[in-house]
Amino acid sequence: MSFLRTLRAMLREIFDESAYERFCAREGLGPCRESYARFLSEAGWHKERKVRCC
Amino acid sequence: MKPALRFVLWFGIALLGTVALATIALHRGEQINALWLVTAAICTFALGYRFYSKFIATKVLLLDPQRATPAERLENGRDFLPTNKWVVFGHHFAAIAGPGPLVGPVLAAQFGYLPGTLWILVGAVFGGCVQDFVILLFSVRRDGKSLTEIAKDEIGRVGGLVAYGSVISILIILLAVCALIVVNALKQSPWGTFTVGMTIPIALLMGVYLRRLRPGRVLETSALGFVLVLAAIWGGQWASQNPAIAAHFTLTAPQLAIAIIVYGFAASALPVWLLLAPRDYLSTFVKLGTIALLTLGIVIMHPTLHMPPLTRFIDGTGPVFAGKLFPFAFITIACGAISGFHSLISSGTTPKLIRRETEIRMVGYGAMLAESLVAIMATVAACVLEPGTYFAINSPAGIVGQLPEAATRTITGWGFPVFADGMQALARSVGEQTLFNRTGGAPAFAVGMAHIFSNSLGGQAVMALWYHFALMFEALFILTVLDAGTRVGRFMIQDALGHLWKPLGKTSSYPSILATSVLIVAAWGYFLWQGVRDPLGGINLLWPLFGIANQLLATVALCVATTILIKMHRAKYALVTLAPLVWLVTVTFTASWHKIFDPSVRIGFLAQARQLAMAGGNARLIFSNRLDAVVTAVLVVMVALILIESARQWLGILAGNRDAKVQESPFVVTRLTEERA
Repeated sequence: MSFLRTLRAMLREIFDESAYERFCAREGLGPCRESYARFLSEAGWHKERKVRCC
Repeated sequence: MKPALRFVLWFGIALLGTVALATIALHRGEQINALWLVTAAICTFALGYRFYSKFIATKVLLLDPQRATPAERLENGRDFLPTNKWVVFGHHFAAIAGPGPLVGPVLAAQFGYLPGTLWILVGAVFGGCVQDFVILLFSVRRDGKSLTEIAKDEIGRVGGLVAYGSVISILIILLAVCALIVVNALKQSPWGTFTVGMTIPIALLMGVYLRRLRPGRVLETSALGFVLVLAAIWGGQWASQNPAIAAHFTLTAPQLAIAIIVYGFAASALPVWLLLAPRDYLSTFVKLGTIALLTLGIVIMHPTLHMPPLTRFIDGTGPVFAGKLFPFAFITIACGAISGFHSLISSGTTPKLIRRETEIRMVGYGAMLAESLVAIMATVAACVLEPGTYFAINSPAGIVGQLPEAATRTITGWGFPVFADGMQALARSVGEQTLFNRTGGAPAFAVGMAHIFSNSLGGQAVMALWYHFALMFEALFILTVLDAGTRVGRFMIQDALGHLWKPLGKTSSYPSILATSVLIVAAWGYFLWQGVRDPLGGINLLWPLFGIANQLLATVALCVATTILIKMHRAKYALVTLAPLVWLVTVTFTASWHKIFDPSVRIGFLAQARQLAMAGGNARLIFSNRLDAVVTAVLVVMVALILIESARQWLGILAGNRDAKVQESPFVVTRLTEERA
């Protein structure tokens, strides 16, 4: 179970789901289009500067 | 575990590893099972991790569990965040694993399976993993600073400038070579072009779905995208069998190159949520799944390797790329053994997530070992092919001839029998018109992977689907590298130009975005075009240039690492980074010398330019060769400068003439409790 929990946490972190959850908690917002649009504009800055290795 | 039991366990692993290594190194004239390669790799990596990385952690770097990391001190819930070590491991692995560890080993298989395998094992344990590990720690101790910033702080202005120059150069050459691999894999292939082309609307659809319909549900959206991609593979078969539709997707190399250049420009200028982010998610989803599937497939099927341990091409006359085993095998396999590019990831997002210094060992050293295992799988995928088939796919028409009969005659003449009928049947079984002259490594890897998969799941009937799945898988993350790389390159140019004229540095200004996008796309587009027009297939030209640039960046990273170690008064352990540094300098400088001055026209840029000029050849081709020689020379001079500057620092500190002050963030005791950690 612990392995599956860690795997799920890993995937949620890689796919930015946890980051969105943290954003909602920090800003006191629920999951909706508006909050996601705000999250994207904040996270987008980091995402587009992130290098992907060869 | 009791010490005696532990001793028996590690002694057993060492013994098994020795037997596996002896089997792959000493067998001559008979085929061996791929599991020997996998066993040798797993045992070597386990020993490397258990003993060498522990030595580095405890004796050399003195990792301190009491020292607060920037993730704790600067926690902001965004980029700085203490994160579970396994989560950071997955995050870091997903960022460092790209097409490199798949393509490099496939190309290097022209020397046989032995040189590439040994270089991956030794290079990773003593070079690549060490580089990733130390740079990650040094970035953590400097609040997550980038390699260029660390180089500037620790070595000086020259260090910073050279690191910047190396990064931008490698980025341009990397993007060109990535694009060339896709071009060579998709030319005259309506099925492949349709499938890969469809990933663009699928990514756009995912972007809209994620923003409008199911905000934040990235895993669900990626799974949906994956199903659509599978449908696109299926649709590609239908499209290729429909002459009217197939005609639209049957493109020549120059047509594909233009399409990719236009795509690269669009991807750089479009909003990040619309194309880049969803494609990145989709690519990661497919990547993690397929790598796991390939590993399972190899272990379950344990196929036989048909490639000999060494081929006659160690003498430098290889058709895939020209050049002797030394130094060319060591620049052909970069990612998988040691890759300078990883130092950018290790000093990027990852250091901001590390919870404790002691976890850096697993993330930095461990994730690189996992990537090296992927490189071993790629070696297996290439070497399960009959050597004749491997060379027929990977040899350019300029070497073996345009017609199937000429190509098979040439390759059979080298001692690797292959028949035109057999190649035609293989092409038909994977849904292609021909598999001759598909240079670049991706098609050979796809055929090998399809061979392994089809033997375990579905049989020969689904070989074509597996082939196009493998092709799509590679093209998907090559295009992701292209998207992300073009954008990062654009930002780097904007940052640099901003120092000259402020408005150009505004990353949100549309004229600036367009101008800098044109600059970066034109730069890699030029090299791509050069590769496409190259009569020898382009890979012979661009892959060594990419390898040299990547390894020179690793040289910069190791210079920085050695300087910091000496400043930390750990000079007696400096060999940990100095030994791979000396090896890389020897390899890259020798390879660069050959690429510039070698009298063979297949190796030396200047020799080829001279021959073309004497024969009254194409003026642009002559210019391109001279330009490549200049680019290589500039890279070498830049790295020589940072080497000289670093050596001055080392000697000054050791002689007591210089202050050995590291530019670390101040020590703060961690407040993370054991429970939270």
